[in-house]
Amino acid sequence: MAWLDRVWNVLRRARLQRDLNRELSFHLTEKIEELEAGGMSQSEAVRTARLQLGNVTKYVERTREMDIHRLLENTLRNLRQAFRALAKAPGFTATVVATLALGIGANSAVFSAIWAVLLRPLPFPEPDQLVQLAQSNPKMKAPFVAPVRLADWNRLNTTFQSMTGYYTEEASEISGELPERLTRAFVARRFLETMGVAPVLGRDFTPAEEHFGGPTVVLISDRYWRRRFNSDPNVTGKTVRFGKTFVPIVGVLPANFQFPRPGVDLWSPSPDDAPFAHSRELTWYTAIGRMKPGVTLAQARSNLAAVQAGLGREFPKTDAQISAAIEPLKETTVGSARSSLVILFGSVSLLLLIACTNVAALLLSRATARQQEIAVRFSLGASRGSVIGHVLAEVFVLSISGAALALLLAEAGVRAFRSLAANLPRVTDIVLDWRIVLYSLVCALFATLACGLFPAIRGADRDLADSARGTRTIFSGGGRAQFVLVGVQVSLAVTLLAGAGLLVRSLQQLGRVSPGFQPERVLTFQVSSSWGETSDMRAERRRVDRTLERIQALPGVEATATTMDLPGIASDYQVELMVEEGRAETEPKVIAEGRAISPGYFATLGIPLLAGEVCREEPGIYTMMVNRTFANRYFRASPVGLHLSQPNNMYLPKSVIRGVVADARELGIHREPAPTVYWCFSPGQPGTHYLARTHGDPRAMSEPIRRAVHEIEPLRSVFDVAPLADQISDAYDENRMRTILLGFFAAAAVLLAYVGLYGTISYSVNVRQREVGLKLALGAMRTRIVGQFLSQGLLVAALGCSGGIVLALALTRFLSGMLFGVSAKDPMTLTGVVIAVLVVSTIASLLPSIRASRVEPIEVLREE
Amino acid sequence: MRKNDILKGTLVLLVLRTLASGRKMHGYAITSHIQQISDLLLRVEEGSLYPALHRMEQEGWLRAEWGTTEKKRDARFYSLTAKGRKQLAEEQESWSRLTEGVARVLRGPMEAK
Repeated sequence: MAWLDRVWNVLRRARLQRDLNRELSFHLTEKIEELEAGGMSQSEAVRTARLQLGNVTKYVERTREMDIHRLLENTLRNLRQAFRALAKAPGFTATVVATLALGIGANSAVFSAIWAVLLRPLPFPEPDQLVQLAQSNPKMKAPFVAPVRLADWNRLNTTFQSMTGYYTEEASEISGELPERLTRAFVARRFLETMGVAPVLGRDFTPAEEHFGGPTVVLISDRYWRRRFNSDPNVTGKTVRFGKTFVPIVGVLPANFQFPRPGVDLWSPSPDDAPFAHSRELTWYTAIGRMKPGVTLAQARSNLAAVQAGLGREFPKTDAQISAAIEPLKETTVGSARSSLVILFGSVSLLLLIACTNVAALLLSRATARQQEIAVRFSLGASRGSVIGHVLAEVFVLSISGAALALLLAEAGVRAFRSLAANLPRVTDIVLDWRIVLYSLVCALFATLACGLFPAIRGADRDLADSARGTRTIFSGGGRAQFVLVGVQVSLAVTLLAGAGLLVRSLQQLGRVSPGFQPERVLTFQVSSSWGETSDMRAERRRVDRTLERIQALPGVEATATTMDLPGIASDYQVELMVEEGRAETEPKVIAEGRAISPGYFATLGIPLLAGEVCREEPGIYTMMVNRTFANRYFRASPVGLHLSQPNNMYLPKSVIRGVVADARELGIHREPAPTVYWCFSPGQPGTHYLARTHGDPRAMSEPIRRAVHEIEPLRSVFDVAPLADQISDAYDENRMRTILLGFFAAAAVLLAYVGLYGTISYSVNVRQREVGLKLALGAMRTRIVGQFLSQGLLVAALGCSGGIVLALALTRFLSGMLFGVSAKDPMTLTGVVIAVLVVSTIASLLPSIRASRVEPIEVLREE
Repeated sequence: MRKNDILKGTLVLLVLRTLASGRKMHGYAITSHIQQISDLLLRVEEGSLYPALHRMEQEGWLRAEWGTTEKKRDARFYSLTAKGRKQLAEEQESWSRLTEGVARVLRGPMEAK
């Protein structure tokens, strides 16, 4: 490959030079030797040889030229010239570089998020083998698996290397001065094996530790090890303290191992042979499996389906209705973020396209303005190729500078992303690394070709250049091409703005919804407790009641309650209920969302009572409340006094309905209230949320409440303290991020369209100055001149808008799942967008048009 | 007698012919070989030889590699590639046609004045 060799040689000049010198000095040495052999003295021989060889440097130069590719030398020269030419046009250069930086920077920032969240493999060995397992039941979604069933699956399948499960709870570690809240994961057998990690210090759990009644031990996270034990290499054997028990540390896990989630600091075995783990009905493991190498998801699914079918025959009562669900672990981790990220990526890609169109239009103007220079080049014998190369070199310099600036912008963008979307999975992994730099460079290359090729070919049109030689007034087709490009920009801007508009409208609508409860002035928090404590339910209820009473007694607190799920935040717990009083077969099954709350819940949240009475704690009787939708959907008469039970759930026995309350949007502000039942029952299990309605700013009560809990429960920690309104708003983080970012992209798109239109009309005004001067000299009204240019701009804008509307109608349906209270074809939004773009276009066209009308005819005509 | 400088364009032919033996030769050896064979009638100018060698290498007619001479000196040795052999055939062909033509013209009758 002689061609490649030469390209390569450009890059290693020094080496080449050295080799050549070596080769020639060898020649010289041989020559001298020969001359000496012929009888010459040494000095004479050297002199003669040198004389014969002549000017060595010149040979080296000439020989070197043979080794180096001409094209590359030309390219380098072109680049140098391009730098010089661009430095002379700072306004043009700055506009183009800024436009490209915006387009590429936004694109790189979003790409970095896509890479980190969606594309990058999970940080475990062979992550594609990992799947999440769940048992599903036609009646309800259950994300958890019964330990005994998981053990069966693990024993009977043929497609998995191993299966394991876990659950987490918030623990209060009390060996320090104050109780510290830590997240502790309880893991089934084979946990580390399945995840494919080993402790960096110490050891895995022993079989004895994984048995019920065996010693309790913990593995700790690298983070906790550094923070709490100062990276002590002898940490194994030290203890952490929970309540009255001291638990020895057996090892430290690697720093990059953050599973089940980043906040977990402790892992302990969860014995699956504990007596309560034998029930086939109680589910609490989140189950993970590692498939055997080469096994596909479909094979694993059918294998596990067969296993579960077998269990169904063996245990018809509990297992017949259950099927096994398998999803890739990556999908369950990041799948929720996909649609938002894809929409954002689509939007920034449109933005990049607009930026390219803009730059192309600017380059066209420049190429036309340089026709004379190009004509001179042609007449001096430049080939068409060399002129194109010259123009492309300029574009290349522009886009590389744009890419460099874009990286700075992307860095800022990434930071904004992390703060806007704190709840996005793996969001802390979003960083700019070499991949993103590479991606930006590829974008820049694409931009070079997309923006530069057309103007370069046009600019190097010999006929156009020829026409430039004679006269300075040119009416080139370039003007038309620029207007087409500007029209495209306008239509893309309309599309983006329509998308952003729809999201903004959704957010507005969401704000207007009355949720059916009053989240203002409610503080939420949690108090650490363990699953172990739930074995004595009565003690738990007493503890929770005591805590609630203590808080209730604080001045500034109006009402208190507990709930398992915060209202207004997406969560599902669907249950099927049986009406004890009997129900006709023909009537629909009673399916409802179930919530466990304390009786103060309705008063604390301001949910009004519609019928019956608010439940109280009644000795020996379990009571419940239902919402209006539930009462209306399933019963013709008032359901108050009826008894409902949940088959197969021993923890929630038969309960009597004491009253009906108004509908509240428990499942999320954006979701219609579903039929809901409330068990009046404060379980106090881990994950229970405490609510306190306050007189004033709820934040002001967080310290008094913390202190009050510490007084009566000194061994527990209070955590996750935040106003309910903030909690709900955080749950809509992704929604807001999407809206803000898309809004930003749309604004940038409109700005670019403005620059494009303004630039093109200005250019047109410049080119036609003489014509305008002539018209004015012949008595044309200045307003007519304004009208002429303005109508040209508005025509382009109008055409762009109609194109944009068509495009928007085609594309906004991708948003439909993210909209709330507004249709994807919302005429009001679309009209608003068109009006906004037309106003901007008018301003963009008006300014240069007015400048055109200010032309002094005499000056322009005299210039000739 | 004045040594003949090599006619432009024939240097490539001479180098190809010299290397056709299949031996690997360095630049100095090629020069000496041409001078010897032509009984010192032809003199190779170093100023043209090395650019020519490097160009031929880039064309893919020659292969070059560093080696050591009998006197243990480092030198760049050139050898003919298959492509170079084809090129030699072509150049020989066109050279003989040229000399043939020139010879005919020289032998032909003088134009009357």
